[in-house]
Amino acid sequence: MGTISFIKYYISLLTAYCKFLFTFVLYKFADYPNEIKFAAFVSALCVMIIIVMLLSIFWMSWLEKRKRRLREHIEKKFAKGMEYIVSSQASKLMTEKEIAQAFDLDKEDLQGPLLRNNREKRMFVEVFYMYFISKRSELSRTENTHVMLQLFDIPDYLEKEVSLGSMKHKVNALSYMRTFKLPISPWVINKLLNSRYMRVQRLAMYSTIMSSSDSALDYFETDFFDNNCCIKDEIELGFSLQRRRKLGLKLPNLARWAHIQSNEKTQCMFVRLMRRFNEIEYCGQLKDLYNQTKKKKLIEEISRTWGYLHYLDCEDLLIEALLTQPDDTKVAIMHAMTRLATGKSLNALLDGFKNTTNPHVRYEALRCIYNYGEEGRALFNELEQNASEADKKFFTFFHNPITLEKIRLDKEQAYHPSVETVFNG
Amino acid sequence: MWLTIYYIFCYLVFAYTIMLLVGYVWLVFMSRLAQRQLDVNLPDDETIKYLMQGSPLTPAVSIIAPAFNEEVTIIDSVNSIMQIDYPDYEIIIVNDESTDRTLELLIEEYKLVEVPYDIAMRVQSKPIKRVLKSTDERYSKLIVVDKVHGGRKADGSNAGINVCSNKYFVCTDVDCIIEPMALYRMMWFVINSHKPMIGVGATMLMSNGCIVEDGKVAEAAVPNTPIPMFQQLEYLRSFLISKLGWSRINALPNISGGFGLFDTDVAVKSGGYDPMSMAEDVDMLLRMVTYMKNSGQDFQLALVPKVCCWTEGPGSLKQLVRQRTRWARGLFEIVSNHRKLFFNPHYGPIGSLTLPYLFLFEFIAPLFEMTGFLFMIWLTLTGGVNWSAALLIFGMIYIFSVFISFFVMYFDYKLKAVQWKHTKSSYFKLLVATLLEPFIYHPIITYCSIVGYWRFIINTTAVWTPIQRKGVKKR
Repeated sequence: MGTISFIKYYISLLTAYCKFLFTFVLYKFADYPNEIKFAAFVSALCVMIIIVMLLSIFWMSWLEKRKRRLREHIEKKFAKGMEYIVSSQASKLMTEKEIAQAFDLDKEDLQGPLLRNNREKRMFVEVFYMYFISKRSELSRTENTHVMLQLFDIPDYLEKEVSLGSMKHKVNALSYMRTFKLPISPWVINKLLNSRYMRVQRLAMYSTIMSSSDSALDYFETDFFDNNCCIKDEIELGFSLQRRRKLGLKLPNLARWAHIQSNEKTQCMFVRLMRRFNEIEYCGQLKDLYNQTKKKKLIEEISRTWGYLHYLDCEDLLIEALLTQPDDTKVAIMHAMTRLATGKSLNALLDGFKNTTNPHVRYEALRCIYNYGEEGRALFNELEQNASEADKKFFTFFHNPITLEKIRLDKEQAYHPSVETVFNG
Repeated sequence: MWLTIYYIFCYLVFAYTIMLLVGYVWLVFMSRLAQRQLDVNLPDDETIKYLMQGSPLTPAVSIIAPAFNEEVTIIDSVNSIMQIDYPDYEIIIVNDESTDRTLELLIEEYKLVEVPYDIAMRVQSKPIKRVLKSTDERYSKLIVVDKVHGGRKADGSNAGINVCSNKYFVCTDVDCIIEPMALYRMMWFVINSHKPMIGVGATMLMSNGCIVEDGKVAEAAVPNTPIPMFQQLEYLRSFLISKLGWSRINALPNISGGFGLFDTDVAVKSGGYDPMSMAEDVDMLLRMVTYMKNSGQDFQLALVPKVCCWTEGPGSLKQLVRQRTRWARGLFEIVSNHRKLFFNPHYGPIGSLTLPYLFLFEFIAPLFEMTGFLFMIWLTLTGGVNWSAALLIFGMIYIFSVFISFFVMYFDYKLKAVQWKHTKSSYFKLLVATLLEPFIYHPIITYCSIVGYWRFIINTTAVWTPIQRKGVKKR
């Protein structure tokens, strides 16, 4: 008996049992009050659902066993080759023949399809994905991965999954394609952009941004996110932009996108991306936004970005803003001034220290002065000598070896690592 | 007249039962919907780690663990917490003026020295005496706070909140065993949320019966002894059906104090934990929700359906009764202190659905059960029972409770919430617990609830007696 007929047989048995149960309840309790009929009906229904659940647990367990066997089979057959492809040994460009050799494939194997059906292909991708994300060496070549996947007919399979699969398979296949940096056909992308699921739409959009020409970068020319932006979007977008840069393609004007969006969170995201990708050429465009906006977070992000990117033209604006902005924002502005460290803003920092009663802002101002080159250190020493009893507690932090480590602006520096180390991919 | 009262009572009980059944079915349905959503949106641990570990956007987390007289386990516990796999976190151990060698052991083991501090007391707690950090680079994540004795976990947690510098904090017990991937799993919900995420709950199970190796649960198993076995089933049902179902409509009523993640700013603005409360975790969450709603901000709550934390539960009947009486008292306190939120649509689904459900089916249920039980005795004595009908209705309730517990196993299998060492034997034990629970465990819990309510009403002084830990099996 084949699997399908076996399942059909059991489904018919189950249906017959259900029929029997309900008929029994209907006739047995026909003369009873409604409460009793209800109780009997609910009991019968519960018993049936319990049986269905039991059967589905057995079914899932059988499926799992089958999947485990297939995984073992794939791992046994291809693990060696997969490990080779993601290792540093594959640092030079490889031909199809060399890859076949790495997988111990004979000429006969290459004549027919290497993986028999979609189930095997899905498992192959799953296993390779695990190797890719956990064992991939920085020296391995993306091109080799592409040739290998082509050899196993995986790109076609993934495209089919993306366009025809269920929601779960669509998302998984898209994620695999993005991770392996496989190109996606424009017609598939267009189809996905019209998907009713926001997640699919966005994944498709980020995939386009990753590799297509400038014409595809008009997504944010409208207020695209409309309050629905999360950290994951920023990670995905950052990943796409990083890939673009590696391919030698031009990055979009992120400052312009920050202008167009109306939501503060989204604007901050684009400003942060500018900072991460060292987009200094558009820094000037943020000046208008800085002057016009009353959004605290946005002002903080722009100030930080100017500081990190060492945009000297903004220093007067920062000094002016330090007088008017609330305490939270002041800290970001003072840090930006310290990073610029032109000597012009040292007095502003001193005012920042003196003109507030907020201990956090005072401490941060002192920290900025301490980090402000030699001039700053001289001023710091002077302040320490003349410190009042109440202020002395601030200075104890600068003498303890453990807290002193935190006083340098290292923690925020970690927020801005080099582009190549942002993502593993 | 008595006959009228009798009929009214009977129909009231019947209507209540139907409502309860509908409530449970609805929760199961919601939980199933949540699972379908998670099927697509929650990738496996490796993928989450791959996406988050290298990103500078991964938010930092502070883990707060108050400790009082834990000299036997403190070093193992801190070592276990340090094994968490996450790129940016700090561990804050709050010593609540232990009278044993807890602090000395920490200082010796981790080479701690006093550091200057200037901590704003953002939430109410007993004064902090000193803050210690390690001179050893390996333990740079560790911060030990030595404070004046507060006597409650909530006070220690508040001191930890005052010290923590990250946007999110996790509150846990120092003797909990945390899964290494727990923070990744919780923070995945934070980075995927379009609205401000104010709290993420995580599935917690009993460590009784598990085997622990190097501070991690190496073999997950259902306990062999009856009381912990029933509790394991109860925990699974609570997390995988009730809380997961509520999380689907953003109406999670409770993030467990044993392991829960919160937004620091929102927790501070809503006053932190209440040191006098018997249910400080529910209390804080409800105050956070109230704060967000009253200030017109939208928010999100989520639950991780995979097990993230293991805790040792009461192993004996006496300890169970003590714990559950305290919980019942806490529930009464919540109903009384947050009554403004109940049936109030201003507070969204929590006010209009979750809290009414909590009131009708968790708070009132033990009273109904007890009344029904006494009524049944009276009817039996007066010969007023139609036995065939009574048995049929009893059978329906029993089958229904088994049906709900079956869903727990089904969901657990589907979600892979727990990686059982021996799936078959674990499910067999859970099945036995399912069949016996209505006769043995449920009456005990009902009794504890009634006692807890009574103690709240007569206002006896609440004493927080910690559970006597037997310790978990180590390999």
